[in-house]
Amino acid sequence: MNRYLSIFLTFARACLVRDMTFRANFLLECVTSLGWMSMNLAFYVLIFTFTSEIGKNTGWSKEPFFAFVATGLIINSIVQALFMPSAEELTEMVRTGGLDAVLVQPLDAQFMLSMHRVDFSSFANGLVGVGLLGWAVSRMDYQPSPVAWLLYPLLILCGVAILYSLIIMLAAATILLGRNQSLYDFWFYLTNFSRYPAEIYSGPWGGPIRMLCTFVIPILLVVNVPARVIAMPLSGESWGLIAAALIAAAASLLISRLVFQAALAKYRSASS
Amino acid sequence: MHNSNRGGPVDPDDAAVISVDSLAKEYRVYDKPEGLLASVTGLFHRTSRPVEALRGVNLSVGKGEFVALLGPNGAGKTTFLKLLSGIITPSRGTAHVLGHVPWERDDDFRRRFALVMGQRNQLWWDLPAAESFRLHKEIYRIDSARFERTRDELVDLLDVRRLMLQPVRELSLGERMKLELVAALLHEPEVLFLDEPTIGLDVVAQHTIHNFLKTVQAERRVTVVLTTHYMKDVAALCERVVVITHGSILHDGPLEEIVDRFTTHKIVTLDLDATPAPGQMERFGFPCEIRGPRVTLRIDRTRIADVLPEILRSESVRDFSVEDVPLEEIVAELFRAAPVPSVSHASVVEATA
Repeated sequence: MNRYLSIFLTFARACLVRDMTFRANFLLECVTSLGWMSMNLAFYVLIFTFTSEIGKNTGWSKEPFFAFVATGLIINSIVQALFMPSAEELTEMVRTGGLDAVLVQPLDAQFMLSMHRVDFSSFANGLVGVGLLGWAVSRMDYQPSPVAWLLYPLLILCGVAILYSLIIMLAAATILLGRNQSLYDFWFYLTNFSRYPAEIYSGPWGGPIRMLCTFVIPILLVVNVPARVIAMPLSGESWGLIAAALIAAAASLLISRLVFQAALAKYRSASS
Repeated sequence: MHNSNRGGPVDPDDAAVISVDSLAKEYRVYDKPEGLLASVTGLFHRTSRPVEALRGVNLSVGKGEFVALLGPNGAGKTTFLKLLSGIITPSRGTAHVLGHVPWERDDDFRRRFALVMGQRNQLWWDLPAAESFRLHKEIYRIDSARFERTRDELVDLLDVRRLMLQPVRELSLGERMKLELVAALLHEPEVLFLDEPTIGLDVVAQHTIHNFLKTVQAERRVTVVLTTHYMKDVAALCERVVVITHGSILHDGPLEEIVDRFTTHKIVTLDLDATPAPGQMERFGFPCEIRGPRVTLRIDRTRIADVLPEILRSESVRDFSVEDVPLEEIVAELFRAAPVPSVSHASVVEATA
């Protein structure tokens, strides 16, 4: 384990050195990322000028909802910083045969392929998310209990694990197909469902989507569970969701591992 | 389909470092007819056919051998190296490298060999090679003292110490390849697979790399398998040559044996006193070139002992040389003459995707 941590830190250090080499690019990425996030926040502020709650009697009034948004920002920034750059590069590595060099090294290929690039500029959103969370929680009527604060980082990790597993399965598809340039787009479409409270998915259309995105592709558990834990009192339903998030995270990691291993066994390599 | 040949590592001390038995690799490729309509049809209905990249190859390589794999493009050389290094899995057959089945990808096995591909960059592109070396140290768990000693030895041998701190993208191809070799050898592998390591390099860089590989192989008894299209690499480095064509081994033996086995002629170059008359030299052999008084003849090997004294007796010869046919020519002829395997197996299969 220490060795993998040490290798990850070496990767991270090298990526930081590279980012610092191209300083203007690094700053531009930070500004772009923060700009996109600011536009989203402005959009939500605008919505709350028309309504006091997202969904009737759902409890997602302005401050709890911004705690929800902050949770999403934190989870997404971790995923975008640690895993997404490597996954995006994988498409090119499979197409050009660059994956060969990874497979001959005495290291877990999944680790190597999912963590060899770190995008430090993506942490900018996460930092803003932490600030936004502090602001939202301080203005909420309900204040989270110490148990909720303990559960919150654990559930954030569960959310990251579910998204990471999705990325790994999409990466496995890249290995099998030889080319999968829509990987990032597909991931973006899927994770879009996780950006809103699960309560909005109700009625004849919303209900099936909620079931699908909770039990089949557990994308709705990613942000909803930690956000509910921090923004609303812990109830029986909350504990059920916490258990679901823990099980979904473990199952996603296991299934994605198996799928990735199966894909690697089918790897054809590219012609030299 | 493939035989994974499980059953634990074989002790390699006395056995061959590399042993390959009936190794075969088959790919399925899709035929894509030209045109828009055919492309649209291809979305629903495709035809595919099997391509045998390697057809039941047998090979045994001992410790410290330097073996060249020769063959035309598409012969199966790189596929063979990829199988031996565990990048891909075979369709049939077995292989052991250092007692391990390569495609099981044991860490213990992967710590003991290295693969260098001349056409692929394995160093971090935007960073100095020293950063890649540091990562290599962590991945291969090399202790600091050994890492520094090995790195210093290798960079000094290739005279690239000054390049270690320069971003890789700013280096020339030759400089990059030297640093790739340093990275590959930092963990002191017992087996080294080299896939066209001198491709695109100038003669000076080629020569430096030849000397480096010779020194490393002799001092460390590394077993090296090299694929190349450059006969200079083969002549400079390899005692043994394996010729692969159409996925099968056509020849396996010492380099000289190729010359003996596949050439029937010698090349005799004569410097005469004067330009010979037309037809004057043809009684000795086939005149390849006549440029003034310099004549190059192609003479049957079995006749050379009789013909040469006769030439020296009957012609005014100032100087002469007798050489084998250039290796490039022999190998090119060998590739051309290689029997094309039967295609009956390559049945076209219809597939709906």
